[in-house]
Amino acid sequence: MKGFFATFKNDHWVMPYLRRYRKLLALVLFLGFMTYFCGAALMFNSGYLISRAATHPYNILMIYVPIVLARAFGIGRPAFRYAERLTSHNWVLRIVSDFRKRLYQAVEKQAVAIRQTHQTGDVLSILAEDIDHIENLYLRTVFPLVIGWLLYLFVVIGIGYFSWPFGLLMLLLLGVIVIVMPLLSVAVNGRREFQARQVQRRFYTQLTDAVLGLGDWLISGRRQDFLQQQDAPIDEIATLRRADHHFQWWRNFAIQFIFGAAVILLVWWAGVMFTHNQAEANWVAAFGLALFPTVEPFSEMSQGVSEWPVYRDSIKRVNALDENEPVKVAQTEIGALAELKLDHVQFTYAGAKRQVIDDLSLTLHPGEKLALLGPSGTGKSTLLKLILGDERPSSGSVTLNGEPIARLQDQRAQLFGVLDQQPYLFNTTVMNNVRLGNLNATDDEVRAAIKAVELDDLIASLPEGYNTEVQEAGSRFSGGERQRLSLARILLQDAPIIILDEPTVSLDPITEQHLLDTVFSVLHDKTIIWVTHHLAGINHVDQVRFIEDGHFDMQGTPDELYRNNARFRSLYDLDRGR
Amino acid sequence: MIDQRVFKFPGVKPAAAMMAVLTVIQAIMIILQAQYLSAAIVHLWKQQPIGTIVAPLAVFAVAFLGRHLLTILKDWLLYPFVEKTTKTLRKQFMAKLFDLGPSVVAEKGTGNVVTMGLEGIDKIQTYLMMIIGKVLDLSITPWLILIYIAIIQWKEALFLLAIYPLIIFFMIILGLAAQAKADKQYAGYQRLSNHFVDTLRGLPTLKQLGLNETYADNVYHVSEDYRKKTMATLTIAMTSTFALDFFTTLSIAIIAVFLGFGLMNSTIQLLPALVILTLAPDYFAPIRNFANDYHATLNGKNALTAVLDVLQRATPNDRELLSDRDPVWQDDDALKFDHVNVGYSADDTTLQDISFDVHGFQKVGIIGASGSGKSTLINTLGGFLSPQAGEINVRGTQVPHLDQKAWQRSFVYIPQAPYLFHASLRDNLAFYSPDADDAAVNAAAAKAGLTDWIATLPAGLDTPIGEGARGVSGGQAQRIALARAFLDDSRRILLFDEPTAHLDIETEVELKQTMLPVFDHHLVFFATHRLHWMNEMDYILVMDHGKIVEQGTPAELQQRDGAYVRLRSEMEGATVK
Repeated sequence: MKGFFATFKNDHWVMPYLRRYRKLLALVLFLGFMTYFCGAALMFNSGYLISRAATHPYNILMIYVPIVLARAFGIGRPAFRYAERLTSHNWVLRIVSDFRKRLYQAVEKQAVAIRQTHQTGDVLSILAEDIDHIENLYLRTVFPLVIGWLLYLFVVIGIGYFSWPFGLLMLLLLGVIVIVMPLLSVAVNGRREFQARQVQRRFYTQLTDAVLGLGDWLISGRRQDFLQQQDAPIDEIATLRRADHHFQWWRNFAIQFIFGAAVILLVWWAGVMFTHNQAEANWVAAFGLALFPTVEPFSEMSQGVSEWPVYRDSIKRVNALDENEPVKVAQTEIGALAELKLDHVQFTYAGAKRQVIDDLSLTLHPGEKLALLGPSGTGKSTLLKLILGDERPSSGSVTLNGEPIARLQDQRAQLFGVLDQQPYLFNTTVMNNVRLGNLNATDDEVRAAIKAVELDDLIASLPEGYNTEVQEAGSRFSGGERQRLSLARILLQDAPIIILDEPTVSLDPITEQHLLDTVFSVLHDKTIIWVTHHLAGINHVDQVRFIEDGHFDMQGTPDELYRNNARFRSLYDLDRGR
Repeated sequence: MIDQRVFKFPGVKPAAAMMAVLTVIQAIMIILQAQYLSAAIVHLWKQQPIGTIVAPLAVFAVAFLGRHLLTILKDWLLYPFVEKTTKTLRKQFMAKLFDLGPSVVAEKGTGNVVTMGLEGIDKIQTYLMMIIGKVLDLSITPWLILIYIAIIQWKEALFLLAIYPLIIFFMIILGLAAQAKADKQYAGYQRLSNHFVDTLRGLPTLKQLGLNETYADNVYHVSEDYRKKTMATLTIAMTSTFALDFFTTLSIAIIAVFLGFGLMNSTIQLLPALVILTLAPDYFAPIRNFANDYHATLNGKNALTAVLDVLQRATPNDRELLSDRDPVWQDDDALKFDHVNVGYSADDTTLQDISFDVHGFQKVGIIGASGSGKSTLINTLGGFLSPQAGEINVRGTQVPHLDQKAWQRSFVYIPQAPYLFHASLRDNLAFYSPDADDAAVNAAAAKAGLTDWIATLPAGLDTPIGEGARGVSGGQAQRIALARAFLDDSRRILLFDEPTAHLDIETEVELKQTMLPVFDHHLVFFATHRLHWMNEMDYILVMDHGKIVEQGTPAELQQRDGAYVRLRSEMEGATVK
């Protein structure tokens, strides 16, 4: 229970929506209550109806009201249920729209931080799933619980109206079903859920490992080892599931047991209470039957609540997401680019010991083209982050026209165009994807950009031309074609500085060569910083720098280096296949 | 209604038979429970002393408890069967995975296979647990209740019987039509969910384009749009539940009114009337339960289909045609491909008419543009793919494919990104020879140039690596794979698939120096588009569009001035301005 309140203490994802849409929420709860009320009332009314009829009233009119009511409740129950389901789904989906936007904004603000702490995109799927979990929290836990309690109060008050001591007894007895059992479920399940998650995670890791390394397993010929490795978690999962099932069976039995006791007591009480005359005795059947329809909502409560541990994690995760938003510095703007300058930049990642960038200085003027080389882990990507302003130097400065880059983040898209290893194409048409570079571009401008990157013939040959869907992550096109589409986007963006972050790493040499030719010809008037892993196309630039352990160790024009630097010459020759 | 495949699992029939017997007893309990509760109420209605209801209430209590204890007993009986079946399925699935090899993973996708083995089989468990009980319930309980009601009062029983097909009819008409739409909507939901994840993944690009803030509204609108469409469909989909609910609840109300009239006209007594009224909800309960769990059932069914699809695949046989020998490959052995065709499916041929002849410790370079079939050839050489046509001859033995146990014990496969297991560095190094001692592992690591790096690791050889643990750079991953080759001297064949394509030139140079000594006394197949490796080869296969367009020693090819020279000059063009 402590955990429950702790979860909601600093919550700003679940509670605010309950408040904001409280009218709809009240409607959902009312409809849900009415569904079960009608169910119980139908049995109550029917019990009375046939008891009264059995006394042979001389006129049909004597039982006319219960007859009408029987039909009303009979239609009411499904109608209310229908309405409740529609309203609650509508309510939840409305909230989900808000959630999606909020999650997007939270991730957007922390895009850099998230990419650093989690290498893969998996975290994003997890977050997207969290939203589904919160959706289910409402539908499967919150609504049934509150509706169950309303029903419980109604039953207890209804009986208490006739006899408060017996009402009190029912309060306690049914209280076990609607309060104690759910709490017990959370307590037992919470503990098991924790174990289950660990076992499940281990099995997941092992299974993924086994599937990804299947080729190696096959070659190793260690079939027995392979199978044995999976046995332990398979057995553990089975054991946990068994315990889970046993608990559920006995819990449901306990609920039924208490419920049966409540029915017997109710009949007994009715027998004591309503047997002074025949008119009173007609009510006995009503009370005796009315309780049965409530067992369904009551027992659902425990099941819904036992899913709470899953939801709790989701709530915690989304809440943690927008807690520490990065501080933004005051922004300014600059005019035409005159100079990009790195002045004695040093950089160490927060919490890390190793200095990634060690005293780098560099000045670029409009139209200059620089290639950066160096083994992985030597600070190339960090340097790009510093130039873009995603990271700030520990000491020294990165400036554009003398303004620190951190103060130019609002203008960033007008200053920098980026072509990286895997440019993202959205699941929409070619036209829309390219237009993302400049939303105000006309169709003709988009076509011109696509022509410039030499894709016009290809696109024209597609049955739907510029309206062809690129499919998920651009899978309709090859790696080289995707790069060209992104290049077209950058052309429309028309920023003065272009960052090329190993755009050709996954391409074969011929495709690579053609792409680089196009890149440097269409971007001839731009300032270019090109991170590359080998020397193909190096003659396109007028400055080459090698980074080693965070500082520059070889630099010069490609010609100079080839003539004067033996190491560069040997690398260059190797790259040409000599 | 019930899946025939469920009955194919061993042990299902005795379990189901026992369950059927218990379901019959349970139905009797339900009837007893209604009978005696009604009896107690009727005693009270007749204003008899309270003592008269003790006996009927006691019977009611026993029947009521018995009914719910039987539920547990049924579960208890069924569960061992279900547990055993899912456990077996999981184990069979793992074994099948091993036997089918990486081609099935390539076809289904890693995520898909993992999901199948984990959640898929969980769903099957839920499905088995549910379907047997529910179907038995549906085919026994209502009819016993109906027979009992018929004995008391045939007219009401007739009404209940008549309404049943009507309910099913409406359920089918409204339900199935709506369900089809709902399923489609579910697919739409998956798409939206993917779209959302896509948007999140594309955020860096959006940020580069300065669109990150405006896109938030787009996310909201897409979601709202979806909500409106969903609600329209849900309205229809929920009518199926509504129809079922409506007919069952209204039937109870009608029965009550019928009984009321009957009582007034004295055609029935209160006790039987009350019994019928109490039993009516239980008559409808099984079908309602069955309909309510439609989706869970469907999920389980689909999961079962997916898993069985994998389990029922034929495993390649003739895996032991090639005789074992230590080492499997020696200096005087020969491998011959004769007009071999390979494809990923029956109607697709990726490699056509592949013929070559290599022997001993030759170094074979495989060169070609992207998509020319280099990787497919390496996969065929590794036995991960089986040829559709043609002949393969190893050491004088004719084999239909290279998925031969002995062959696979003879090579080390080094792809662009060698897979590192989520285990200690030692386990990764000694993956092919788990019994190797520390000295051997260290020696192999030293030959692969890993000693300096291992010294920087906190726990040396015991440091956990692999996904989620310590990151290993691309160059080091290659060295770990090489160390495997050093460690197991009986593996005299090396299959390289673009091992250096993603490495920077300096790392590649260092790695090459480590790699070259391994080439001695090994048959090497080296697929790459980095030209300098060709200088180390003594035989070259030039590939284009799935065919070998030229082959021979580098000198021969150079002289011939054909495809090889053309390809080389085109590739070199990248560095010559």
